[in-house]
Amino acid sequence: MVSSIGVKALLLAALVAVPFITSSYTAYQLGLYILFGIVGQGIVLCWGKGGFLPMGQALFFGIGAYISGTVLKSDPSWGVVLLAVLLSVLVPGMIAGIIGVLVFGRKIGSGLYFSLITLALSLLGYQLANSQVWLTGGFNGMTGIKGLPGIDSFGSLYFFIIGALVFSTCFLAYLIRTPFGQNLEAVRENEERLQFLGVNTSRIKAAAFAISGGVAGLAGAFFAPHQGIVTPQVVGFILSAELVIWTGVGGRFGLAGPVIGAVLIGFLASGLRDYFSFWEVVVALVFVIIVLRLPGGIAGLAAAYAKKIGMSLDTFRSSPRDEQILSSPTNSQPRLEFKNVSLQIGPVVILDDLSFEIVDRGIHCLIGPNGAGKTSALNVLTGKLAHNSGKITWCGQPLEGMQPFRMSGLGIGRKLQVPSIFPELTIRQNIDIALWVNRLKFGNVLSMRPYRWHKALKDRLERAFPFLIDAEVLAGKLSVGQRQMLDFSMTVLAAPDLILLDEPCAGLSKAETETMISAIADLAKSSKATFIIVEHDMQVVELLSDHVLVMHQGRLLAQGSLEQIRANPEVRRVYAGGSK
Amino acid sequence: MEVFVTFLLNLIYISATLALIALGLAMVFGLLGVMNMAHGEFVMLGAYSVYVVQLAGQHFLWAIPVAIVICVMVGWLMEWLVVRHLYSRPFDTLLATWGVAILIRKGVEVIFTRDYKSVNQVMPGTIDLLGVSYPAYRLLLVALIIVLFVALFTWYQKSKAGLKIRAMVQGPELAAAVGIDTARLSRLTFIIGVSTAGLAGVLLAPLVRVEPYIGLDYLMSSFFILIVGGLGTLEGLLIGSTVIGGTDAIVSTVFDKTAGYMSVLLISILFLWLRPDGIFYRR
Amino acid sequence: MDRTILEVQNLSGGYGDLIIVRNISLSVYNGNTVSITGRNGVGKTTLMRLISGSLPLTSGKVNFLGNSIAEVPEHKRFNLGMSYAPQERIVFDNLSVKDNLTLHYLETDLDRYSNLFENFPRLRERLGQRAGTLSGGEKKLLSFTRAIAEPSNLVLLDEPTEGVQSDNIELMAQVICSQKSQGRGFLVVDQNLTFLESITDTIHLLDHGEQVYKTDNKRFRGEIETRISI
Repeated sequence: MVSSIGVKALLLAALVAVPFITSSYTAYQLGLYILFGIVGQGIVLCWGKGGFLPMGQALFFGIGAYISGTVLKSDPSWGVVLLAVLLSVLVPGMIAGIIGVLVFGRKIGSGLYFSLITLALSLLGYQLANSQVWLTGGFNGMTGIKGLPGIDSFGSLYFFIIGALVFSTCFLAYLIRTPFGQNLEAVRENEERLQFLGVNTSRIKAAAFAISGGVAGLAGAFFAPHQGIVTPQVVGFILSAELVIWTGVGGRFGLAGPVIGAVLIGFLASGLRDYFSFWEVVVALVFVIIVLRLPGGIAGLAAAYAKKIGMSLDTFRSSPRDEQILSSPTNSQPRLEFKNVSLQIGPVVILDDLSFEIVDRGIHCLIGPNGAGKTSALNVLTGKLAHNSGKITWCGQPLEGMQPFRMSGLGIGRKLQVPSIFPELTIRQNIDIALWVNRLKFGNVLSMRPYRWHKALKDRLERAFPFLIDAEVLAGKLSVGQRQMLDFSMTVLAAPDLILLDEPCAGLSKAETETMISAIADLAKSSKATFIIVEHDMQVVELLSDHVLVMHQGRLLAQGSLEQIRANPEVRRVYAGGSK
Repeated sequence: MEVFVTFLLNLIYISATLALIALGLAMVFGLLGVMNMAHGEFVMLGAYSVYVVQLAGQHFLWAIPVAIVICVMVGWLMEWLVVRHLYSRPFDTLLATWGVAILIRKGVEVIFTRDYKSVNQVMPGTIDLLGVSYPAYRLLLVALIIVLFVALFTWYQKSKAGLKIRAMVQGPELAAAVGIDTARLSRLTFIIGVSTAGLAGVLLAPLVRVEPYIGLDYLMSSFFILIVGGLGTLEGLLIGSTVIGGTDAIVSTVFDKTAGYMSVLLISILFLWLRPDGIFYRR
Repeated sequence: MDRTILEVQNLSGGYGDLIIVRNISLSVYNGNTVSITGRNGVGKTTLMRLISGSLPLTSGKVNFLGNSIAEVPEHKRFNLGMSYAPQERIVFDNLSVKDNLTLHYLETDLDRYSNLFENFPRLRERLGQRAGTLSGGEKKLLSFTRAIAEPSNLVLLDEPTEGVQSDNIELMAQVICSQKSQGRGFLVVDQNLTFLESITDTIHLLDHGEQVYKTDNKRFRGEIETRISI
């Protein structure tokens, strides 16, 4: 077994040795491809980790290059050069951040639009670079850029580039391991679920995009002295496209992928382009095949091979020792009120003047025939659907127009009907995200501290659902029943006052249903939370309910104890079907 | 007065051509949910058809069947090999069609080089209209586009195939239950969408530069139009074209081309921010 | 002797790996109606969608007129002679009532519907209207009419009476019985036991996605009611 650190040290040594072993021209070329690879690492953060693809990344690379080029034209001191590098990172980073906030801010799943907008920005950058001659030198480019003070651009600058690569790799690798990085991956896996866990996902995406812009700017800062000229092509869409191709072909899921892709395709291209005119067609074809069949790219293939021969390239996060016990806040008295809530989609009336109040703790079961509007009632409550009229308040606070991620701040948690988890994350990571709800702040989101957090409730859940102890298993590998239980565990770990469960036993076997029911009953007894459970299964209702609400055709038909409901002739009529 | 009439005619001409260019993307994205990043490349293929036909010494009109045959073939292959596997995965569709776009672009570049190709003028000369003389081909183009839109819209509203497409978009499961082959119908829709792009390329070829990279501009303007106009309605498409075309034309005249592009991009981002579903939105 | 139109053996399935119905077996013979009833959420509609082909099977067999159709796509089952009126999204809301009735035929006339229109004159009155403007019960009638008029051997009806007025429910039952006498088979999911008693030859009761009771007795109402009362 070869250790992961060893492999990385060996790779680094090999990179440093390149100028001594091969020609300095090879090292010079390699330096350029590595710069592109660094930009690709930023794309990995967005695309591989966050699940949204920036298609105009050359823009930020180019802005960095123009800034550093402008400064280097004037033979500056090292202090000024450092300032320029800093600016080359900050300016593109900020621009990217603003764009991210604007594009992601309004709508979940605006991924396609984001990609196209970034592509459009790269086109705009190209036009600006061409037309603003006073700033950029226009079509002929910004010339007369000198190297870094005292550094030979064809010689030792290479080592600075290696340094930039090491920096960007370490920085991004750290970032990916922090709670921020883990939440970013959760965005890719299931953005809606993460929102119900109280995470402002659009802000995470914007931050990741800003960082990727900064990383691209850093590479750009070295590009200017390396090439001595910056032309509008450097911000243009062709380079943007190539950056995505290198990242995709090399591998979008890890930081090595884009470097492999850029270096490999770069050297192949410089060798083949002149003899083989279809070269770029072949690269595009390979890209399409990778999208269709091989999302992990070359790095993915390599990792699979390494695993086969028994090498571990992944470092598992070591289990933290000294745990920090989080206190659970005391739940306040519930007060949920639906007042004349109506919802109509097209000609279909879904909720018809629905009114009810929940003021007692315990388990409230919401039952009713298909199409009665049970799930819709929860959807308007959590802001997934906007109701046409009426009022919904929680402890006096109106819930209209509230974004889902704010709900958890009010103590409202929800489990959807289908098990909704983060399949490519481990059980531990899934649970961690739930433990972090409402506690991740700017001060700790980039530290490793939150991984030490623990709640007594977690032990209780592990006793109820023993499979949770096997924490390094990928959540996607669990059975449906286990996924329901994991989802349920996440919902209650977030410690809400009001827990909304939509058919928690759907798709469970008889034995699993029993496990689930006893877990819910146990939690309801031990915690002071209020549960609203939408349920079809009368056995579940029988075992759990303190109070039953019956809906029919968008209205509340009856409420009371199960015995009262059973005795109610109207309910019997609705349930026995139309037996007139 | 003359200035105003010229401006109005320009606006109509620009909006009409933009609407024609965006039509295919609106169909493919609006009906099938496929963001076809190679949309502009089909416009480009149409434009090259004119170049090839004229190179062979044939009449301009021959380019129309040539372009349609090429677009149907390429579109069919693309749907069959790539798109049909990805219908419920919009993000992968974007990536894959974008790869195809580069493929087509590079392929054309290898065959025809990156140089601009000149296409002979068709119907040079002007026509006097409302006191101004306006290029005859542009007026013909506007008339053709109107005819095409009316024809296509009528087909969509009245024909059996159009009826089935509307049924499929509304309820794919019910459509399958009444025996409609939704896979085939999706392919037909895709092919018709890209063919209108090819047709747009033919009609525009005499007016624009013809080179392998023109597709991207057409993709972007089509996309902006969809953002502004929203999906699913003809009104949206026309209004979107007018807003985008008009803004670009006015700002470009007052300042320069880059400012025009910037204003269009800004409007699109604003729309995403303020009206994410566009002006006209139908569930 | 009776000919088997549909034979379902040990069928299981659901949505992805979420298994909803387990191990269902049933047969529909020509001239017969097989009914499925049970509480809400027990998997009746899932079973219908598995048989109609809108969901893939997880395991089990579905034979139609003697051939396995497990791999046959939904639209081809229509051509083989299977009609399906689903429970939800039952009509094309944006299309007119007439288009809803004719879009899947080459000819656009309504001759095949003339008998059914006698029973349900409301539909004929509303031919030009958008189907989305119909009430829920009228949509059910439209969907029922469409499925009945198709030249099929087997008709799958999922909750055909939901929201339909009682006199129209009686008419539906009459139509089904007269069609049965011409040799067609029916597989009907419903909760209206009066309706089911008037059309059914064999009834299955579902609970938790499994068959819990089956009878050929035509007077099943009492038994079923005690089993499903809450």
